[in-house]
Amino acid sequence: MRERQVSDYVLIAMKNLNLLIILSLVLTMAASMRGYIQSGEAMDFMREARGFSWAGWKIIVMAAALYAVCLLVMYIQSESTTGLICKVCVEIVLGLLLSYLLGFSYMGVLLLILADAMKYFPGSKIRFPVAVLICLLYLFINYDFMSAYFDVIPLDVFLDYYESDARAFISGTQNALNALNTFVFLVYMLCLLWAQFDEKERILSLNRQLHETNSELQRANLQLEEYAKEEEQMVATRERNRLAREIHDTLGHALTGIITGTEASIALLDVAPEMAREQLKVIVEVARQGITDVRRSVKALRPDALEKYDLEKAILSTVEDMKKVSNVDIDYHCDTSLHGFNNDEEEIIYRIVQESITNAIRHGHATAIRIDIHRNYGTLIMKIQDNGIGCADIKKGFGLHHMEERLALLQGSLYFSGENGFTIEAYIPIRWGEESGEDSSGEDA
Amino acid sequence: MREMSVETKIKGGEDDRKPAKEKRNLLLCISCALLCLFIFLLWTGLEKEIIGKDRDVLTIGVFSDSYWNVQNGYSYRIVDDAIEVFEEEHPGVKVQYTSGVLKDDYSEWMAEELMEENAPDVFFVLGDDFSSFVDAGALKELTSFMEEDTDFHTDAFYSSALACGAEGGRQYALPFECAPKLMFVNKTILDSEGIPMPDNDWTWDDFYAICEKVTKDTDGDGMTDQFGEIGYTWVEALESNGIRLFDPKGTECHLTEPGVEAALNFIEKLNELSDGYEVSERDFDLGNVAFQPMSFSEFRAYQPYPLSVKKYSGFQWGCIPMPSGSQGDNISTLDTLLVGMNKKTIHADWAWDFMKILTSEPRIQAEIFDYSEGVSVLRSVTESEQTLQSLIEDSGSEESLNLSILSKVVEKSLVSIRFPGYQRARERVSEAVSEIIEGDGNINMELIIWNREINRFLEEQNDR
Repeated sequence: MRERQVSDYVLIAMKNLNLLIILSLVLTMAASMRGYIQSGEAMDFMREARGFSWAGWKIIVMAAALYAVCLLVMYIQSESTTGLICKVCVEIVLGLLLSYLLGFSYMGVLLLILADAMKYFPGSKIRFPVAVLICLLYLFINYDFMSAYFDVIPLDVFLDYYESDARAFISGTQNALNALNTFVFLVYMLCLLWAQFDEKERILSLNRQLHETNSELQRANLQLEEYAKEEEQMVATRERNRLAREIHDTLGHALTGIITGTEASIALLDVAPEMAREQLKVIVEVARQGITDVRRSVKALRPDALEKYDLEKAILSTVEDMKKVSNVDIDYHCDTSLHGFNNDEEEIIYRIVQESITNAIRHGHATAIRIDIHRNYGTLIMKIQDNGIGCADIKKGFGLHHMEERLALLQGSLYFSGENGFTIEAYIPIRWGEESGEDSSGEDA
Repeated sequence: MREMSVETKIKGGEDDRKPAKEKRNLLLCISCALLCLFIFLLWTGLEKEIIGKDRDVLTIGVFSDSYWNVQNGYSYRIVDDAIEVFEEEHPGVKVQYTSGVLKDDYSEWMAEELMEENAPDVFFVLGDDFSSFVDAGALKELTSFMEEDTDFHTDAFYSSALACGAEGGRQYALPFECAPKLMFVNKTILDSEGIPMPDNDWTWDDFYAICEKVTKDTDGDGMTDQFGEIGYTWVEALESNGIRLFDPKGTECHLTEPGVEAALNFIEKLNELSDGYEVSERDFDLGNVAFQPMSFSEFRAYQPYPLSVKKYSGFQWGCIPMPSGSQGDNISTLDTLLVGMNKKTIHADWAWDFMKILTSEPRIQAEIFDYSEGVSVLRSVTESEQTLQSLIEDSGSEESLNLSILSKVVEKSLVSIRFPGYQRARERVSEAVSEIIEGDGNINMELIIWNREINRFLEEQNDR
C-alpha cells in the first residue's frame, strides 16, 4: 500500500514536470516569434519556417488548455475496459495534438499518458498492447519523421532567433528536462513494479499461512477422531457402571427387604402364623416390585415409582413400603416443594433416599431412620440419619460410591459420618432459572 | 463477526460513493468538452467570428507606393475604386486596409501580420515573394473558386500572367497587373546610321550586326563614344535562347543545356565590342547607346508625365521585343503583381468576389493604364481602343510604342521562376557566368563543373 502512494507522488511530479516543459517550450516559441517581428525578420522566419503557426499567445493558451484537458481526462474514473480504452485513446489524441502544436519537439506527454494508463489498466491483456502502442508512438513521432507528413515548424527555427549562447542554454535546459521526464517515468514504472512485487509476496505469505492452518486443522481432526473413539469406550464403561448401579439399587433394595421380611416371618411363623402370612404377602409384593425394577433397569428406564408418581409421592411410597416390610421407623420430613426438578435430578434424589434407607437397614441394622429434605437458597439439602451401629472406619461401598458419582454429575456434593449411627448429607444445586418461581416462594416461606 | 461488519461497512461506503463518482465523471467530461470546444475555436481561428469584431469587415493588404517604383500620386486610387464597386455589390460589408505601408516594407509587414494571425483577407503579393508565401502556406488555393464560379473566365487573362500565380498546377493567386521586358531603341542613332528599325522577330545576328555598326568614335577623339547596348546580360540572353535556368521547383540547375554555351559566347562577343569600356546608364541617357532592355513599366515611367523632367529629350526612341537566340524566341520574363487570399480568412467568398473585381473587372483593370505603369492582365482591356488612346496620350507620340506588339509580348512572356532561395541560387549562377566569361577555359567543361556545384547548393537549400 505504501509503494502505491510513492508511485502516486511520482506521477504528480511527472505531471508538474510536463507542465513546466510544455510551458517553457511554448514561451520560448512565442518569445522567439515576438522577437522575429520586433527585429523585422518576419520574412526570414517565414522563409525558414516555410509556414506559419498560430499567434504566440494562441500557442500558449492552446497548449495550456490541451494539457489541462489531458489531465482532466486522466482524472475521469472508469471501471469498464471499454471506458478505459476510450479514455486512453482520447488521451493519446490529445497528446498528439499537443506535440503537433509544439512542432513535434516534445513527446513526453505520451510517457505521462502511458504512466497513467499503466496505473488504471488492471488486466495484463489490454495493458500490454496499450503500452506497446504508446511506446511506438513515442519512438516514432518526432520532428524528423513527422515533417514528411505534417507542415510543422521545427523548434530550431524558433531557436535560431536567439543568440548562440542563449540558444545553447535553452536547448540544453530543454534536453535536461526531457531526460528528467524520462527518468521520472522510469522511477514511476519501478515503483509500480515494486508494488506489484509486494502484492505477490503478500499473496504468497498468505498462501503459506493458509497451508499451515490447514495442516493444523487436519491434525486437530485426527485428534478429534481419537477422542471420539475414546468417548465411545467411555460411554460403554458408563453404561456398564449404570447397569451395575441399577442392579445394586433395585435388586439390592428388594432383596434386603425380602431378607428382612423373611427373617421376621420365620420368627413369627410359630408365634403368629396369621401375621407371618401377612408378612409374606408383603414380601411377595416387594419381590415383584424388585423384578419390575430389574426389568426397567435392563431397559434403562426410570424407577417404577418415579414413572408412576411425581418425586414427592415416589419417595413417600418407598418410605411407606420400607416401613411395612422392615418394621423400621422411618421419619420423613420435607419442608420444600419437590416439583420442577429435571428427570435426572429427580432420579438422583430418589435413588439417594432409596440407597440410604437400604444401607441403614442392611449395614447399620437401624431401627429408626430420619429423612430431612429442605432448601437453603439455591441448594437442596438432604439429610438421612439412622440410629444403627454406624461405622468407625467407612469403606465406600458400591452404594456410596455411586451416590457420589451421581451427585458429581449435578455438581452436587456428599458428606457422611459414621458416628452416632450413620449420617448422609447431600447438597444439590438447584439449576438456575428453571426454578425461579419455586425459589422465590421458598424464600418467602 | 467483527470482520463481517467491517466488510458491510465498506460495501455501504461504495454504494454511497458511486453516485458521487458518476457526478464527478460527468463534471469532468463536461469541462473537457468545453475546453476542447475552446481549443477547436482557437485552432481553426473561428474565435474571431464569434467575437464579431471582423464579422462584416473584409480586410485587404496594400502598399502605398507603386509596384513599379514610380511615385505617381495615385497610390490607392485603383483599390479605392474596387472597394467602391465591391461595397455596392455587397451592402453591409465594409472593406478596410491599412494605409501607409511602403512597398519595401510590405513583405515584412505581411509576414508579421501572418505570424500574428492578423493578416488581411485579401492581399497583394509581390512577384518575388509569391513562392515564399505559397511555400509558407499563407495563400489559399483558388482552383475550386475558379472552377465553381461561372462568372470567372480564365481565358480572359493572359495565360502567362495567370501562370505567374500558379505553382505545381495549382492557382494560388490572380494577376493584377504585369509588365513584360522590352528592348528600348534609340531611334535617333539608328536613323543617323541609316539603319531601319528592326522587325519584331529580329535575331541575335541582327542585334549584333547593329551593335557592331553603331559602336564607334563619332567625334574623332580616338575614344569610342557611341555604343550598341547596355544592360543586355546573360539573363536576357538565356531567356531568349530558350533556356530556363532552373526547374520550377528549384531542385535542378540547367547550365549544361545546349543553348547556354551559345548564349554565353554571344554575351562575350557583345562585351568585346565596347573594347573594355564600361557603358553606363548615363551614356544611354545622353543618347549614346542604341539599345537597352527595359521593363514596360520603366518605359512608361520615363515618359513625359507632367511633373517629370523629360529624361530622353535629346533623342527619339521606341520599343520592340527582345532579339531571339538561335534556339529561342523573341521573349523575356513577365513581372507580375499578384493578388492572393489569406488561407485563414473567414470571409473566403467575399475575398474571392473582391479579388475578382480587382483582377477581372474591365473597368478596374482599365484604370491600370491611367493610374499605374503596368499592363492589364486582361487581354480585352490591353487591346482596347481606350487603352491605346491613353497610352498615346501618355507618350505623346504614336511611334514610340509599337502597341500592336504589346499584347503579343505579354502573351509570349515567360513566367519567372521563383522558389525559396532563388535569389541566392541566381547569385551563384551570376558568379559562375562572370568567371566563365572572364576566364579562358573551356566553357563547356566549366559549365559542367559549376552546374554540379549549384545543384549541390540547391540540394542543401531544399533539405533545410
